[in-house]
Amino acid sequence: MTSPAISVKDLSFSYGENLAVDGISFDVAEGEVFGFLGPNGAGKSTTVRLLTGQLTPQAGTAELLGMDIVSERKKAQQEMGISYESTNLYEQLNAVENLNLFARLYKVADFDAMALLERVGLSGREKEHVANYSKGMKQRLMMARALVSRPRLLFLDEPTDGLDPVSTQTIHALIETATREGTAVFLTTHDMVEADKLSDRVAFIHEGRIVALDTPAALKQRFGMRALKVEVRLTNGQTELREVTLDESGTAQAVHDLFRNEHVLTVHSEEATLEDIFIDITGRGLQG
Amino acid sequence: MIGTLVAKDVKLFFRNRFFATVTGLALVLYLAIYFLLPLQTENSVGVAIHLEDPAASSEFRQRVAEEEDFTFFPSKDEMLAALEDTDDYFVGMSVPAAAAQAVARGESTTLQAFYAPNVPAEAKQVFHELLVFMANAVNPDLLARLAPIEETEFVLGHDLLGQSLSVRDRFLPLLLLAMVMTEVLGLGTLIVREIETGTARALLTGPLRLPTFLAAKIVTGLVLAMGQAVIVVLVTGKIVVSPLLLLTTMFLGSLLIVGMAFFIAAISRNNTSVLAWGTLTLILFLIPALSIMLPGLASGWMELVPSHYFADALHRVLNFQAGWADVARDLSLLAAAGPAALVIGGAVLRRRL
Repeated sequence: MTSPAISVKDLSFSYGENLAVDGISFDVAEGEVFGFLGPNGAGKSTTVRLLTGQLTPQAGTAELLGMDIVSERKKAQQEMGISYESTNLYEQLNAVENLNLFARLYKVADFDAMALLERVGLSGREKEHVANYSKGMKQRLMMARALVSRPRLLFLDEPTDGLDPVSTQTIHALIETATREGTAVFLTTHDMVEADKLSDRVAFIHEGRIVALDTPAALKQRFGMRALKVEVRLTNGQTELREVTLDESGTAQAVHDLFRNEHVLTVHSEEATLEDIFIDITGRGLQG
Repeated sequence: MIGTLVAKDVKLFFRNRFFATVTGLALVLYLAIYFLLPLQTENSVGVAIHLEDPAASSEFRQRVAEEEDFTFFPSKDEMLAALEDTDDYFVGMSVPAAAAQAVARGESTTLQAFYAPNVPAEAKQVFHELLVFMANAVNPDLLARLAPIEETEFVLGHDLLGQSLSVRDRFLPLLLLAMVMTEVLGLGTLIVREIETGTARALLTGPLRLPTFLAAKIVTGLVLAMGQAVIVVLVTGKIVVSPLLLLTTMFLGSLLIVGMAFFIAAISRNNTSVLAWGTLTLILFLIPALSIMLPGLASGWMELVPSHYFADALHRVLNFQAGWADVARDLSLLAAAGPAALVIGGAVLRRRL
């Protein structure tokens, strides 16, 4: 059995009296996308900082590719790529210069900046100063920079926040390619649709604790009820919306009765979103 | 790694239009000022004299007639007008009729000296000595009656007597110090920008260790600070004066400035506060060099400012051909202050990275 890419046990950190991360534990396998979801102030960023060696844990352990993040911090950091929530590029340099700088520092042999820029859709703009880029372009360049060292671990902090659909799609494609190559992705996001689409498993963090951790499908099955939304025409000519809860013992009969007795106009299936489940578990939304 | 980071920093420095322009303009402007300043020295000290009783003082006139710096005026008003309206005299004196006799009798007397504006304290002291000479001219027996004193002179360090300096020469240490000091602002801004924009974080959570990051900033600071200073000594031709000693002095001085830049970057939230703290430091650190241009400013407390040793060493090496032994104290103190500033600045900066 291979060791997990990320292994966290009872990790804690507090800022003075404020306990930001409260004894969390989880594993992330190689090639897995692990969605880490929670509202602002829940402890997401502190967890990322602990896992990337920017903060030192006050209790518990975190191992990345078998390396302890405290005692082997620099060695572990050599294996990770990070895309930060806010852009932190050298804006007076162009895209090629930004990537080449990190390639030299990581000592990446035969690095081809143009090929990487092609992958993130920035070829043709590579000679412009980054200061002239749009937010989406900067975010794609951040993603490219995170991939410069061909990392085995990828930490992505809100990688598509506020981006246009094209940039979002490019970043999703990059994540999928990275995971196919065996890279473990630790993804923090507010976007539940994105998390649902990309993540193999998701963890909900609330007030520093992990309150749920499973695959999106399993969470939906456990916490949310699927339903059919049926629009029917009444005898007086008006329309009405009916709902049939799925996955229950009487579901089949209810559907049968509906189609036999009513004039059905439209049928839509509906299932609980991750956000519904988060609200269900914590009593508050993710945007807070 | 350090080379890659330094190349990046220098590139960023010159892509910052403000710093690139200021650096280029400052270099050209400072050099222009240097070459426009007079190279000649003014050694004559004109003295305007009015004797109220010329007849009684004929002997005096005879004795000092060979002194070409003395000019006699027929009236006190003419003497004062000459003092005020021309640059030929630095002091004027109206000698009362009874003064010569009083001096001749060995009695005390009061003389009024009128100084031109901007006469430094040293010049006033020189004139006081001159009065003693004049008293002796009136009554040589007075001196003869005094017990003969045999005087042996010992000059500690380099004997600067008779080595008059032009304004241009006096300006050069100030110019070099100013060029190096400006990098407090340049390097400070570079560091603060790295912290503000998060690029330092990107580097340090990646392949880079903090000591390497700081070492690269030290080298960048030295390149930027010394680079301009070296251009100045090359253009002015002063590099031929003890090149190794000059470069060593500039290196140690630049280390001190880089340490200050670290400290300022650590306490500054943004570029504006770098500018504020940097300007304050710049003013304080330039005062010792100003006292070389204007010796009247020199004061004991300046030795508490570390740049004093940088300015003093530059002054001695550039203007008096001082050797290693002559500036050993300055260099030793700089060698201690520079690394100390770096260690303190680096430690404070570390807390922000």
